[in-house]
Amino acid sequence: MLSRIADSLFWLHRYMERADGMLRLIKTSYILSFDKVASGITWEPALKIFTSLSSEEIETLKRNDTAVLQYLITDTKNLNSLKVIVTRARENARGVQDQITKEVWEQVNQLYHMINHSSLSEKLSGPDAIVMIDALISSSDQLCGITDSTMPRGQGWNYMNLGKFTERCLSTVEFTNTFFKLVDYDFTKEEDILFWRGLLLALSGYELHLKNYSNQNHNCNVAQQVLFDKNFPRSLYYSLERANKYLCDVTESNPIDGTPHICRSFGRLHSYVKFSDLAIVAETGLETFLMNIRKELNEFSRMLGQTYFSYS
Amino acid sequence: MTGDILFQQYPVVPHIWDEMKNAEHIRQQYHTIYDAVSNLNLQDLQQKDKLASELFMSQGITFTVYSNDEGIERIFPFDIIPRIITSAEWNHIETGIKQRLKALNLFLKDIYNEQQIVKDNIIPAALIASCPHFTREVFGIEVPYDIYVHIAGIDLIRGDNGTFYILEDNLRTPSGVSYMLENREVTKRIFPDLLANSNVRMINNYPLILHDNLMALSPRQNENPVVVLLTPGVFNSAYFEHTFLARQMGIPLVEGRDLVVDNQKVYMKTTAGLNQVDVIYRRVDDEFLDPLVFRPESALGVPGLISAYRKGNVAIANALGNGVADDKAVYTYVPDMIKYYLNEEPVLSNVPTYQLKNEDERQYVFENMGKMVIKETNQSGGYGMVMGNSASQEVLDKAKVAILANPRNFIAQPIIQLSTVPCLLDGKLQPRHVDLRPYALCGPNGIEIVPGGLTRVALREGSLVVNSSQGGGSKDTWVIDMPATT
Repeated sequence: MLSRIADSLFWLHRYMERADGMLRLIKTSYILSFDKVASGITWEPALKIFTSLSSEEIETLKRNDTAVLQYLITDTKNLNSLKVIVTRARENARGVQDQITKEVWEQVNQLYHMINHSSLSEKLSGPDAIVMIDALISSSDQLCGITDSTMPRGQGWNYMNLGKFTERCLSTVEFTNTFFKLVDYDFTKEEDILFWRGLLLALSGYELHLKNYSNQNHNCNVAQQVLFDKNFPRSLYYSLERANKYLCDVTESNPIDGTPHICRSFGRLHSYVKFSDLAIVAETGLETFLMNIRKELNEFSRMLGQTYFSYS
Repeated sequence: MTGDILFQQYPVVPHIWDEMKNAEHIRQQYHTIYDAVSNLNLQDLQQKDKLASELFMSQGITFTVYSNDEGIERIFPFDIIPRIITSAEWNHIETGIKQRLKALNLFLKDIYNEQQIVKDNIIPAALIASCPHFTREVFGIEVPYDIYVHIAGIDLIRGDNGTFYILEDNLRTPSGVSYMLENREVTKRIFPDLLANSNVRMINNYPLILHDNLMALSPRQNENPVVVLLTPGVFNSAYFEHTFLARQMGIPLVEGRDLVVDNQKVYMKTTAGLNQVDVIYRRVDDEFLDPLVFRPESALGVPGLISAYRKGNVAIANALGNGVADDKAVYTYVPDMIKYYLNEEPVLSNVPTYQLKNEDERQYVFENMGKMVIKETNQSGGYGMVMGNSASQEVLDKAKVAILANPRNFIAQPIIQLSTVPCLLDGKLQPRHVDLRPYALCGPNGIEIVPGGLTRVALREGSLVVNSSQGGGSKDTWVIDMPATT
């Protein structure tokens, strides 16, 4: 596979995964914002994660639902807005149109046109906002399904999924960090479950949480779930397992010089999560733990680029 | 309003050949369309029109217009009423194009080797020497099977008595074939029954023929030669076509930066290391292909490519230097080439052309500017063209000055009223001028032309310029087998 193609497929899925996580967080925050009494922090995590606004700017923006939606979804001044992310995803898809299936391309294209439609801004300002957010989420879901059911399981597939799960790890790290920061990373406190709903719904893990945990020790339970739950598809543990699988497939079919190096590097990161538990995390400090993972993931992504994608 | 009325209101302009209707009657080949459309009302037709646009949009068959830093996606206008050519007409076109291409291929071999045609005084040496696309860098390079033009898009027009003329030969990197194929796919969606009932000849084997031809060019005796399509990248206006063809042929779509030349062999950079390339179907112009030989600032090409080409380690389609054969001044000599190389009379005629470096002809053209179209010899795509009947006096004067400064750079042709076909515009059927570009493929087993081609339409009323860059659209083109005509 051409290095350029592998690079684009990797980034196509990183961007689409980012868009997906963002949409879920937006929807959750938007719905929670109707319960003004809750904790009053509804838009803060989304704005912290997906914009580079200062705390003061966030402070002024966060009380205006419409303005927040516009800034997060359609405003190209925000370099991490959904529109920018999807446009980048589509650019990557466009450059590899012959390597993805026609169905995948048409779906990426459809989502792109949806976001660029002239009426979107207007609809987001009115009562139709939730309908539009749902439509976008549904389109993103369809892309996952179409990719799964039409893409051949070859090299391209491996790079795509490597991108997807790398990004998913990063998203989970960011989301978790932002929410736990609000409670000072304190496992001993017992925050209201309504507070954690924001995080859990954004990661599609609320129902699982209710099923698995019956005690009131929510802070610990939430950390346990998002970091170590083997069956939770957005946990760090699960995402790294998947990334590991696709990395193995990539290295097997491309046995070139840098391969052992990249395998060792990723192996260290993988083991760091795999052989930890909440006690170790508490000892290290959750923030340090998450920041270490973020650093290692970014280093891994860079190394992957250097080893397999260097073409220009 | 029903379709029947649409037809009744269709005007026939005198002295122009209309493909659908002669003075009073609908021509036989259009009867099925006539019947089908008559049974629909205007809303149905407009619905089909809308569906067609949506199909193009959702498939990303678009080009991007940039304004205010934002890219806006546009589709090339498509008209839903197909243009129809009878099998008898098609046979004539096919024979004519095959003959012409055969001669042009022989000419290219000759001009980059022995130059007998110049030595025999058929074509003046000065004309060749002054042609900007005569490429000395490829002199003497041997190409597989002596094929220079692998893909040709020869433009035909139809004059007021229905005769087909050759308008120009596009022998470098002709584009538009994806529109020919996609237009048909869209027609299948909007007029499914009609297509099945009309005995329309199939065109969708084009990519297969092209792929076979490209495979045959491989210099290595290898069961699975590596064939790639070289594109300038996503910003090229024909990028959709490049992805389309790569996908249809199942070959990698590469950019210049994906390739590297080592020891006069071409490789592509893959995740598993370098992989040798045998055949390049390039959609990058000659002058950008190799910065070491042509334009040094080109970032689209591959340094060293020409050395690998000269050595015979890689085949390139179309061959380099073909521009000398589709130069608009050399065009005048194609009938002579046909006689010289094939000893045949041309089946399809040229449009009469005046060489402006020739003083008598120039004088005549200047006196009859209003009836002439002036073209720059090395331009294409509708650029560098002055229509004498519609241009202002100022533009004409400017053209005269430019011609006198460099007469070799211009030719003139009498304005031919292109034939018209019905188009659905503003809720009415209206006649619009069209041309026809069939795509011919030359391979070791001869020349094949898929029955059809791209019909380009000048959508503005009265306009004779069909190029997409000048507001043109396109139509699906049917070649239909008909029972013997009455």
